[in-house]
Amino acid sequence: MSRPLRTLLDKIGMAVCVLLLVSPALLFFVWMLSLSLKFEIDNGAYPPILIPERFAWKNYTTIFEGNSFLLYFWNSVIVTGAATLFALVVGVPAGYGIARMRAHKSAVVIMIARMTPGLSFLIPLFLLFQWMGLLGTLWPQIIIHLVVTVPIVIWIMIGYFETTPMELEEAAMVDGATRWQIFAKVALPIAKPGIVVAFILSVIFSWNNFVFGIVLASRETRTLPVAVYNMLSFEQVSWGPLAAAALVVTLPVLILTVAAQRQIVAGLTAGAVKGG
Amino acid sequence: MSILTSSDRVAGAASVGRTKRLRPSYWPFIVPALIVVVGVIVFPWVFTLWMSAMEWRIGEEQRFVGLQNYIRLATDLRFLEAMGHTLVYTALSVAAPLVLGTAAALAFNTKLPARGLLRGIFVMPMMATPVAIALVWTMMFHPQLGVLNYLLSQVGIGPLQWVYHPSTVILSLVLVETWQWTPLVMLIVLGGLASLPTEPYESAQIDGANAWQRFRYLTLPMIGPFLMVAVIIRSIDALKSFDILYTITQGGPGTASETINLYLYSVAFTYYDIGYGSAIAVVFFVLIILLSLILLHLRQRSAWNSGDGK
Amino acid sequence: MSTSKELSLSRRRLLASGAAAGALGLSGGLGLPGLPAFAQSGGVNWRKHAGSKIEVNLIKSPRGETLAKYQKEFEELTGITVVSEQTPEQQQRQKAVIELTSGRPSFDVVHISYHVQKRQFEKGKWLADLTPFIQDPTLTEPGLLNDFSEAGITFARSPEGGIGALPFSVDYWIIYWNKDLFAKKNLSFPKTFDEMVAAAAALTDPASQTYGFVARGMKNANTPVWTSLLLGYDQYSVDANRNLLTDTADAVEAAKLYQTLMTKSAPPGVTGFNWAECQSAFLQGRIGMWFDGIGFAPPLEDPEKSRVVGKVGYGLMPKGPKAHAAATTGDGVGVTAASKNKEAAYLYCQWATGKLMSARLLQAGAGVPFRSSVLSDPEVRKGVKMPAAWLDAAVESAKISRLALPVIIPVTEFRDVLGGALTNMISGSDPAAELKRATADFKPVLERSEKT
Repeated sequence: MSRPLRTLLDKIGMAVCVLLLVSPALLFFVWMLSLSLKFEIDNGAYPPILIPERFAWKNYTTIFEGNSFLLYFWNSVIVTGAATLFALVVGVPAGYGIARMRAHKSAVVIMIARMTPGLSFLIPLFLLFQWMGLLGTLWPQIIIHLVVTVPIVIWIMIGYFETTPMELEEAAMVDGATRWQIFAKVALPIAKPGIVVAFILSVIFSWNNFVFGIVLASRETRTLPVAVYNMLSFEQVSWGPLAAAALVVTLPVLILTVAAQRQIVAGLTAGAVKGG
Repeated sequence: MSILTSSDRVAGAASVGRTKRLRPSYWPFIVPALIVVVGVIVFPWVFTLWMSAMEWRIGEEQRFVGLQNYIRLATDLRFLEAMGHTLVYTALSVAAPLVLGTAAALAFNTKLPARGLLRGIFVMPMMATPVAIALVWTMMFHPQLGVLNYLLSQVGIGPLQWVYHPSTVILSLVLVETWQWTPLVMLIVLGGLASLPTEPYESAQIDGANAWQRFRYLTLPMIGPFLMVAVIIRSIDALKSFDILYTITQGGPGTASETINLYLYSVAFTYYDIGYGSAIAVVFFVLIILLSLILLHLRQRSAWNSGDGK
Repeated sequence: MSTSKELSLSRRRLLASGAAAGALGLSGGLGLPGLPAFAQSGGVNWRKHAGSKIEVNLIKSPRGETLAKYQKEFEELTGITVVSEQTPEQQQRQKAVIELTSGRPSFDVVHISYHVQKRQFEKGKWLADLTPFIQDPTLTEPGLLNDFSEAGITFARSPEGGIGALPFSVDYWIIYWNKDLFAKKNLSFPKTFDEMVAAAAALTDPASQTYGFVARGMKNANTPVWTSLLLGYDQYSVDANRNLLTDTADAVEAAKLYQTLMTKSAPPGVTGFNWAECQSAFLQGRIGMWFDGIGFAPPLEDPEKSRVVGKVGYGLMPKGPKAHAAATTGDGVGVTAASKNKEAAYLYCQWATGKLMSARLLQAGAGVPFRSSVLSDPEVRKGVKMPAAWLDAAVESAKISRLALPVIIPVTEFRDVLGGALTNMISGSDPAAELKRATADFKPVLERSEKT
């Protein structure tokens, strides 16, 4: 077999392999979309229908009508936003400090935090919030989401600051700049890509978090994952609206994933951090 | 307050030796984060430990019972079963993504058209909101109306009962977990492949080694450390898995897929037995730490010299 | 009675507007003209708390939906703003308790499942005692308590003699049966447990995906199925002194019956079925009998959802070897002890359990009210949209009603532990051994719960 032909065959073979590998993910989301656009009668049909004759756009309009979905969306934005911003404010300097002090062992705490099941944070913090009278507000969720976001940010930032060159900082130090000035004027600008990675991952894992919400959220403080779970079953087969709601909940994350896949990949391979 | 200062000292002591050159003047950078970590991470640990020694039900008086909750655990059949389920589930949820993820990484390591986009799609399952995808899986698993049984029937298999039968429920859930987390293994291994030197491959080519031999005797040993990292991370995540299990089966049918985490949830938040739940949390935590230590030890033996703690 | 006059008016409208627009006709007819009926009844000053706001926590069910649907009328009647929400029952129960223990529940009115939560709520003292409100003639129509059936009052009254939640809806367990499938096999509706087993077996034909029987197999949800069967052996699951009777010979017999029905005649995957799955299976027309609460009937007669419209029989629970009993569960609506708007919240409870709403509940087939005067009102009965057999099943069940679940604190654990055993039986394990183990597991839990 001639060499070019062989490499061509290899390439085609590889492409087929990759398609095979991608298809479970792709088909799943296509099916999810299909479910969300079908009337119940089509969703219950056998054999299943992929593309229905008429689309049930009402599945999408109904979720925004009755269920205060916009409020839950907003709650999710607040909880995720506040927990992420706060984590960046405290976590970026901490990552810098730890990296510069080479205090790697302190990172063990972060590592163990990552290993701890989310539920074991939930019991004591729930009692604490109850005692402080915070339940019924968004504060408990914002605070407990720090369990997810702070370790992600610190972890990624340690890794990032370790790889940034020291020369500039040393030069600035010789010029008599304080450490805070160096941090703000020299280190931080260089670290921007790292902060973006930390931000994205922190947003995604906080947005996706479910377990804290099921216990801490009440009617007015519910986040989207909890809201969509509450729609589950207990009412005939209403797959269409359920799939539509599920898609709406996860759509921001999916868009972010495809749009920022480079950063996400970088962040995950660096620290492979997941919260909760 | 005493918690704060003592943990200060510990963390400080750990860093003193190596930071003499830079002096510990970076403390102000760390203190805010430290306060947060102590408040939301260290305090819950300590408090959980304390609660586990109490008989404590929501809305009732607490009293100290020492190790009684732990003794009760040792004879709690449901807990022991949950432990078994957890271990089986974890083992399978580590093994399957490891094999598939490695294969995927090898495929992605070639020069493909639209590689970035494909990789983006491939990574979607692990980033998507777990509850949302779990709901869709639940629909797909439906024995009568689900699309999976239809697909199987096209190739003459089934119908299966998936998550509706005790003998297949764990495998079905592992399927979801594998679908979701194979991308993470792929990314880690892909990172490893990118760092491989090219010379050995060139000489192997000259020696006439075939693709499998090259993988088996060159690639595999060299990416070993990365596989180990993947195993560690996957094990921890699989042990802690909650969203998918809770949404799809809630531990059912019966208790056939009840893991420690789900049992912990029931005890603490459906039976409101906080003390006993805390004891389960402590045992669970110790289990995870033990497993991590064993794996870390293995990793060290696999002689990977990457230097830092990553 | 002006209330029933309004209802008969609505019935005429309903007939006039045709069956399709029936629901609309009903709500239209009872809208504003219904107001005077409320305003005039007794000396109740419905507008006493106009301008205030209450939060209502409902269970997602046909009952909860009925209340939510007509909430506007209450707001117009009283000037009270209502914010209500329905969540699926298991989450609702769990979340409500968590919020109540926190001492600051986010709701003033809570929809409770007596059969699961009565003792728990009483012990936690989470509900306000409604007695002072009931005795206040400016808040309550006279004779309110006398109109609730005895079962309702039993549910509502605490051991200390207070009234926790007003009885809202009673649910009897009945057999929904598919008349077509029965006719095809030349079978008649079973009168006894034995006939039920035989009919279920005769109807089952896996080749055509037809199954004779379906009931809840999912852990926790399935426990009332078995305790209901147990009632046919003239036995409760827990006796009056809170001793467990869950591993007696009769308990084992009932479990064997459950196992037989669920393994020989039920569709595959039934271990994962809660009532919703059972209902959707029955809706497809391939299930002979479905055993569950009477309040799940409306979708069966809805052509948009059902393939069995007009073919459903509503059968009384067959007679057991030792007794003839219809298992009973019930809901109530109560005011939380922590509420700052107790009187306004109480007005909501009274409205929800009032004659008008009770009549609507019944007419829609969403539930059976505890109100004797409503059940016996011929005008109301004529407006019932469900087939006559449905109403008959309700009336007949009332005569042989018995509580489905024990009145203890840890009902959820009871249902989990025993339900787990039942689920295992569906997978083939031995009923006697499973019950023995489950009873041993649950015994310490029950003892602990009553200790303090």
